[in-house]
Amino acid sequence: MATTTPEIRVAVPPAPTSVAPPKHSYPGALVVVEGIDGSGKSTQLYLLKRWLEFSGYRLHFTEWNSSPLVKSATRRGKQRRLLTPATFSMLHAADFADRCERQILPLLHGGYLVLADRYIYTAFARDAARGCAPHWLRNLYSFAPVPDITFYFRAPLDVAVNRIVAGRPKLKYYEAGMDLGLSLDRAESFRIFQERILNNYDQMVETDGFVLMDGTLRVNKLQKLMRELLAARVDMSRFAPKKK
Amino acid sequence: MKRSPTQSAPAAPPNGLSGKPSKKGKNGRAGGGSRFYGVPLPGVEPGELSGSLIVVEGTDGSGRSTQIALLTEWLESEGFAVQTMGLRRSFLVGEDIDALLAENAVTRLTLALMYGTDFFDQLERRILPALRSGLIVLADRYIFTLIARAAVRGIGRDYLHGLYEFALRPDLTFWLNVRPEVAFDREFKKSQTISYWESGRDMSLSNDLFQSFIRYQSLVKGEFEYLSKRHGFLKLDGEKSVPEVNRHLRQRIALHLGIRGTRYKPSHALAHLWR
Repeated sequence: MATTTPEIRVAVPPAPTSVAPPKHSYPGALVVVEGIDGSGKSTQLYLLKRWLEFSGYRLHFTEWNSSPLVKSATRRGKQRRLLTPATFSMLHAADFADRCERQILPLLHGGYLVLADRYIYTAFARDAARGCAPHWLRNLYSFAPVPDITFYFRAPLDVAVNRIVAGRPKLKYYEAGMDLGLSLDRAESFRIFQERILNNYDQMVETDGFVLMDGTLRVNKLQKLMRELLAARVDMSRFAPKKK
Repeated sequence: MKRSPTQSAPAAPPNGLSGKPSKKGKNGRAGGGSRFYGVPLPGVEPGELSGSLIVVEGTDGSGRSTQIALLTEWLESEGFAVQTMGLRRSFLVGEDIDALLAENAVTRLTLALMYGTDFFDQLERRILPALRSGLIVLADRYIFTLIARAAVRGIGRDYLHGLYEFALRPDLTFWLNVRPEVAFDREFKKSQTISYWESGRDMSLSNDLFQSFIRYQSLVKGEFEYLSKRHGFLKLDGEKSVPEVNRHLRQRIALHLGIRGTRYKPSHALAHLWR
């Protein structure tokens, strides 16, 4: 365990009500999963998506950092290590804005169920862990519609980190938070970085109304729970296939 | 969605970027207070920035780039080292923005944030290192153009000011003001056509290129009038001759930097600009 003193502020204060956009009024619904790497969120969203697809629901799946317009810039910035906390954050916001304006918003307008693997809370947790001011981040993403439900998958740090480190031959530079100079050892740096992100997520449970999911539960049990919680919050019949 | 209409001014300035008109302190710095609008960037010590940031704003065809070239030569002849910056010049995303503009597929918010990325990359990698070394940074446009362009496209002013709250406050901001008709004339002479973005054709203002250009530039100009009051621009008549505008710029900059004489005649290389 490294003894680096975290001199960067990691606290994310409550979302000021004046900044938080109002709940959207589109006919669609937005379902978000959040959590640190290795928390099981992507697996669970995948299972949910497959289940809904089998049943013929109107849905669209979207994930963080996938817009082709901004991809080349992000790739160059990462490969050559040109990114600072500010430009890292801005570039991801540009990428998200593209997805928001060209996918998420039109789909919500069109009455789709939108499933998002990571959302703006990823930026709040991660970029604040890099030292960006939380109020600046909240403003940066204030154009994003508030989800109908946000599942926060929480696994203990060791569990999550071990899942990732065991499965990946090499952690990437920014993924491991190497730009912060936390540790020269990538695995160690990753661990410290993830810990900060985890702390930031934890603080948003109340302020942003996350639905807490225990990432250590068995996969099928967790999925059953997720389906029940979703049905209780979102009227799923809107997206169900029309019966003859 | 939280976007205030551009026409209505915000009731109160948002945090950061407060709209104090220019009050010249002893060093001639506009605003007098902090060098940053909001919190400084992580790792930046404002006290170590000994150089000066001088911004020249103005629409396309206002003579901005000509004046920057002349000012650079003049300042260097006076013994000041100069660093320049401008839009889309960052190593990180400069070329990517060019590509986005060429495709016309980009939405307003993505474009605004890509320009923001371009700005912060230059701020951190070009402007701040230059100011730490005591250089004069001449900015060929700054956050104000970015704010004005995004604001006329319906992105809220509060949002935009918040975005740029850790930008550096310029020591001097000049605004070369020209009428849209004059800008059109000059731009057309220069390139024999008017570009898609300069005429704001993404905004569907008019199918007629001239009309579209005039309406778009008028909207941007209106936004600049607002920014000028809020940030204390030094407004210059950009329709005057190049030597005359240049004389005004030199006088004000000389005052700021403590240069005694402001005599200047461009070198042979730049003589063609002096008209």
